[in-house]
Amino acid sequence: MDLPAGTRNYSYAQDMAIFRTKTHWILLGVLILLLFAMPAYWHDWLSVVNRIGITIIAVMGLNILTGYCGQLSIGHAGFIAVGAYTSAILVQRFGVPFPVALICAGLFAGVVGMLFGVPSLRVKGFYLAISTIAAQFIIIWVIQHWTSVTGGFSGMDVKAASIGPMVFRSQASQYYLILIITIISVYFAKNLSRTRVGRAFIAVRDNDLAAEVMGISLFRYKLTAFFIGCFFAGVAGSLLAHTSLSISADYFPLTDSILFIGMIIIGGMGTILGPILGVIFIRLIDVLVTELSPALQNAFPNLPSGFTSGIAPLLFGLAIILFIIFEPRGLAHRWQLFKASYRLWPFSY
Amino acid sequence: MTELLQFIITGLALGIVYALIALGFVVVWKSSGVANLALGQLVLISAWFTYSMLAQAQLPVWLGLPLVIIFALFLGWVIERIILRPLIAQPILSLITVTLGLGYFLQGLVGIIWPMSLAAMPPLFPKTPVRIGTAVVSQEYLWAAIISLVLFGLLTLYFRYNRMGIAMRAAADDQKAVQACGIPVTRIFSRSWMFACVLAAVGGVLISSIGNITVGLTHTGLQAFSVVILGGLDSLPGAIIAGPIIGLSETIGAGYLTPLTWPGIREVIPFIIIIIVMFARPYGLFGEERIERI
Amino acid sequence: MKTNRWLLLSAIFLVSILAITPLLAACGPKAQPSQVLKIGMMTPSTGPVPEKGLPGQHGIQDAIEYINTELGGAGGYPIEVLWRDSAYDMAKVGTIVQNYMNEGAILFTTHSSSEMKAAQGKANDAGFPGLATFISTMNLHPPQHIYGPTPDYGDDWVAFARYYKENVWKGTGKPKMAMHLLSGTVGQGTLDGAQAMADEIGIELVDVQNHLINTTDETASLTVIKSKNPDVLFISSVPAPTAVIIKNAKDLGMYPGITIGAASASFTKALVDLAGADVVEGVYGVFHTVSWDDDVPGVAKAKEYVMKNHPEDYGNMDYFSTWSTTLIIREILELAVKNVGYDVLAKGDAAAWKAVEEQGIQKLKGYTVEGLQGGTVTYTPGDNRLNKFLRIYQIQDGKIVALGDWQEAPLIKYAAYGDQ
Repeated sequence: MDLPAGTRNYSYAQDMAIFRTKTHWILLGVLILLLFAMPAYWHDWLSVVNRIGITIIAVMGLNILTGYCGQLSIGHAGFIAVGAYTSAILVQRFGVPFPVALICAGLFAGVVGMLFGVPSLRVKGFYLAISTIAAQFIIIWVIQHWTSVTGGFSGMDVKAASIGPMVFRSQASQYYLILIITIISVYFAKNLSRTRVGRAFIAVRDNDLAAEVMGISLFRYKLTAFFIGCFFAGVAGSLLAHTSLSISADYFPLTDSILFIGMIIIGGMGTILGPILGVIFIRLIDVLVTELSPALQNAFPNLPSGFTSGIAPLLFGLAIILFIIFEPRGLAHRWQLFKASYRLWPFSY
Repeated sequence: MTELLQFIITGLALGIVYALIALGFVVVWKSSGVANLALGQLVLISAWFTYSMLAQAQLPVWLGLPLVIIFALFLGWVIERIILRPLIAQPILSLITVTLGLGYFLQGLVGIIWPMSLAAMPPLFPKTPVRIGTAVVSQEYLWAAIISLVLFGLLTLYFRYNRMGIAMRAAADDQKAVQACGIPVTRIFSRSWMFACVLAAVGGVLISSIGNITVGLTHTGLQAFSVVILGGLDSLPGAIIAGPIIGLSETIGAGYLTPLTWPGIREVIPFIIIIIVMFARPYGLFGEERIERI
Repeated sequence: MKTNRWLLLSAIFLVSILAITPLLAACGPKAQPSQVLKIGMMTPSTGPVPEKGLPGQHGIQDAIEYINTELGGAGGYPIEVLWRDSAYDMAKVGTIVQNYMNEGAILFTTHSSSEMKAAQGKANDAGFPGLATFISTMNLHPPQHIYGPTPDYGDDWVAFARYYKENVWKGTGKPKMAMHLLSGTVGQGTLDGAQAMADEIGIELVDVQNHLINTTDETASLTVIKSKNPDVLFISSVPAPTAVIIKNAKDLGMYPGITIGAASASFTKALVDLAGADVVEGVYGVFHTVSWDDDVPGVAKAKEYVMKNHPEDYGNMDYFSTWSTTLIIREILELAVKNVGYDVLAKGDAAAWKAVEEQGIQKLKGYTVEGLQGGTVTYTPGDNRLNKFLRIYQIQDGKIVALGDWQEAPLIKYAAYGDQ
C-alpha cells in the first residue's frame, strides 16, 4: 500500500529504497529547495526555525532511545546540557575548533548517557524514568556548582560557531549550519532504524526478555541506544551553545525533558517523521502563545490576568492527553493514513 | 551534638511529609499499575483550592477542610473517568506520559484560576514551635506525622481486610483475571485515584502551611519519587519507612557534607540515593520483585 | 469512526491556525503606518517565578499607558512596547531577543538577571542595547551593551554591609556574617559583591548556604549557620524562600537575636504577606527605589494607575521597579530623539541601536525619575550601572519603612569577570 499502483520491485535494493518513485525524488527536491530557500521568504522567523531544528536533533536522539529501544528517559535536557558545556568549554578554554568540539560534545554526552543508562539493565519503565530524572538533577547540580570549570550560576559566554574562516554569526548562516546537521541526523536515524542495530532496538522495546532469548545482547544494545540517543543530545547542545552565544544551567530545565517526551508522543513514537512533526507542533504552539498573548491581552483587557499565562501549559497538557487517548500513534500515523487515502482515492480501500 | 539532634528531628519531620505524598503514589501503583507523575500538580491544585475555601471564601475550618476532601474525591473521579479509563490495558509508556500531560494541564488550570501565584495558607495550627530537648520543630510537622501515620494505618487495614482493598491488590496483579472473577476493574481504578487525590490534598494542605503556596509545590512530587523508589513502588510500609530515611539523609547531608562539597548538596541527595538504589536494590527495600515470563 | 472525523477536523483547524498565525504576526505590525518608537520588554509572567513577572508586566503596561497618554510619549513619539512572556525559559529568551532585533526594536529589557544572562550573548554580539530591571554582576562586567537601570546584587550587599557596620553593629572587631543565597544569578551576584568587598568593609563571612526556589524548610541549613554564631544573616533570594528562611530562623530561636538583611529581589510586600507581619518585624532590606509610602510625584502617579488597572499589585516593589525602569527608558529615548532625530531611530537597525546607546543611554545626566530613585540617573563611562543609589528599609508593623539616606555604591572591580 506504500507504493502507487503499478510500481513493482524487481530487486532487493529497490525494495529497500526510501525514495522509490520519481515523484518521491521530485518531492524531496522541492522540499530541500524550499528548506534551503527559507531565509529568503521567512527571514523574521529564522530564530524560531533554528530552535525547532536544534530540538529536532535532540528529540531524534530521544526517539531512538525511547521510541525505538523503549527506554523511557526523562532526563534528556540534562544530556543536552552535557553536550553544550563540553563544547563551550573546549572552544572557550582550550581553543578547540568548533567541528571537533561538536563531535566531542556528542561523544561525551553519549558516554555520560551510557553511565546513567546502566540501571536500564536491571529496571525498566517507571524505575528507569525516575533514574533519568535523577540524572538530570545531578548533571545540572554539578554544572551549577563546579564554578572553576563551568562558570557556575554565572554561566559562560560562548563564541559563535565557526568552521575555518567561516563564522556562523547571522541568523541565516546559523540556519544553514543547523539545517545541514539536522538533515544528516535525520538521515542517520532513518537508516539506523533499518539496520541490524535498529531491528535489535525494536526487539528489545517489544519484549526485552524475548529479545535476549533470541540472542540479542541486552547489555550491548541498551547501552548503545543510550549512547546514540545522548550523542544526538550532545550535538544539539553544542549547536544551542554556539548559536545562543551564552549558556547557563537555566537553559536545561526538567520541564524541557518532559516536553521532549510529549513531542515524540504527539508526533508518533518509533517513527522518523513523528519526532519532526511533534517538535514543530509543540514549538509552534509555544510561539503561538508567546506571540498571541500580548495581542489577546490588548484585545480583551477584561480577561483574567492569569488567562494568558495559564493557557500555554493548559493547551500543551490537553494536546498530550488527547493525543494519547485518541491518536496513540501520533501525527505520523495520521500522515500515513492521509497518504494512503490519497493513493486509493476514490476507493476507500 | 545539639546540631545532630536538630538534624535528626527536622529530618524525621520532613521525611514523614514526603512519606505522606508518597503514599498517594503507592495507592495508585498498587491497584492500577499507573505511575502518577502528576503528583506534585495534584498537591498544588488542592493547596490552592484550600486557600480559596479558607482565605477567599472565608469559610470556617470545619466546613472548608471537608469541602477540600470532597473536591479531591471529585477530582480523582474525574481524572480516572475521563483520562485513564480509555487507557486501560495500554502500554506503560502511554500511562506514564498521560500523567505528564495531566500535570501540565493542572498547572495551567492553576495559573488561570489563581493568577497571584503566591500566597500564604491561613494558619491552621498553633504557631509556637515544640521543643524536644535542645531541638525545635514546628507544630505543623507533629500534626503531619500524626495524620500520616493514621492514614497509613487506615490504608494498610483497608488493603488487608476490606474486600475492595484485596480486590485492588489483585487488580494490580492481573486486570483480566480480576474482571473475570466478577470484580469491576473500573470501580477499583476510580477508587484508587480518589484515594490518591485525597492523600495529595492532605499533603498539600500540610506542606503549604509549612512553607507557602507556590508553583514550587510541584517539586514535592519529585521528592516523593525518591521515597517510593527507595521503599518500593507497591509497598505502603516502604513509603512510611523510606520517607524519614530520605528526610534524614537530606538534613544530615546538608549539615555535614556541605563543607566537604559545594553548598546546596541537599538538593541532590535524594537523587543520588535513587541512583544508588537503582544499582544496589532496584526494587526498593520492600518492593516486590516481579518475575517476568515471555 | 466518528471520533476520528472530529479529530481530523480539529487537527485541520489547529494546523490552519498554526499556519496562519505566523503570517498574521509577520504581516500585522508592518501593515500599520506608524510613527512610533519600538522597544522590546519581556517578563517571566509564567513559569517558575510568576510572582515577580506578573507585577513587573503590569508595571510596564501601566507606565507605558501613562507615558503615552500624559507625557506624550518620548520626544513627541509614542512608545510601542513589544511585550513578550519569557516564561523564564532561557532558550525562548534567545529567540525573543532575536525577534526584537528583526522587528526593529531599538532597545530591550528583561526583568531578571537570569533572562539577561541568556539574552546578553546575542545582544552584545549585535550591539543591541538592553536593560535588566533586576541586574546581577555577571550582566555588567565587563561593561558592554547591557546596562542596569539600578544597582546590581553585589551593590545590595555592599550597601547593607556598610549600613549594618555603621548603624546596627554595636560590638568590637569584625562582625560575623552568614549568607543564605538562592541558587542562581541572584545569589551569585550577591556572593560576588561580598567576596570582593568583605575585607574592605570589615566583615567576616562565616558561612554561605544555598537554597532552591521551591524550598519548604531550611531548618537544617540554618542549624549549620547557627552553630557558627553569626551576628548577621544576609538573604539574597526571592520572596517565597526568604519567608521560609525567616520563619525557620524564628522557630530556631535565632531571630530576633541576630540581624537579618534581605536583598532587593525579595524585599517586597509579598515577603510580609507570606511570612506574616509579626515574623518579619524588624527585618532589614535593601532597595533601589522609594517605597509606596514616600511622598514624591512619581509615587502618586504609580498609585493612580495601579489602583485603576491592577489594584492587586498595590505595594508591590516589582511593579514599582519596572515602572521606574520604563520611565528611564523614556528619558533615554527622549535624549536619543533629541540628539539624532526620529528618522535614525525609526529604522531599528544597528545604526539605531548605536544611536540609542551613544546618544541616549550614555548621555543620561541628572535624571530624577520623578523622585522614584535616589540620587540621579547618570551615565559614567566604564560603569554600566545607570543609577548607583540604594536605600536601607526595615519592616516595621508590617510596613516597609525607609531608614536613613540614600547610599552610593562604588564601582567594584570583579577579577572573576575580567575587570581590570
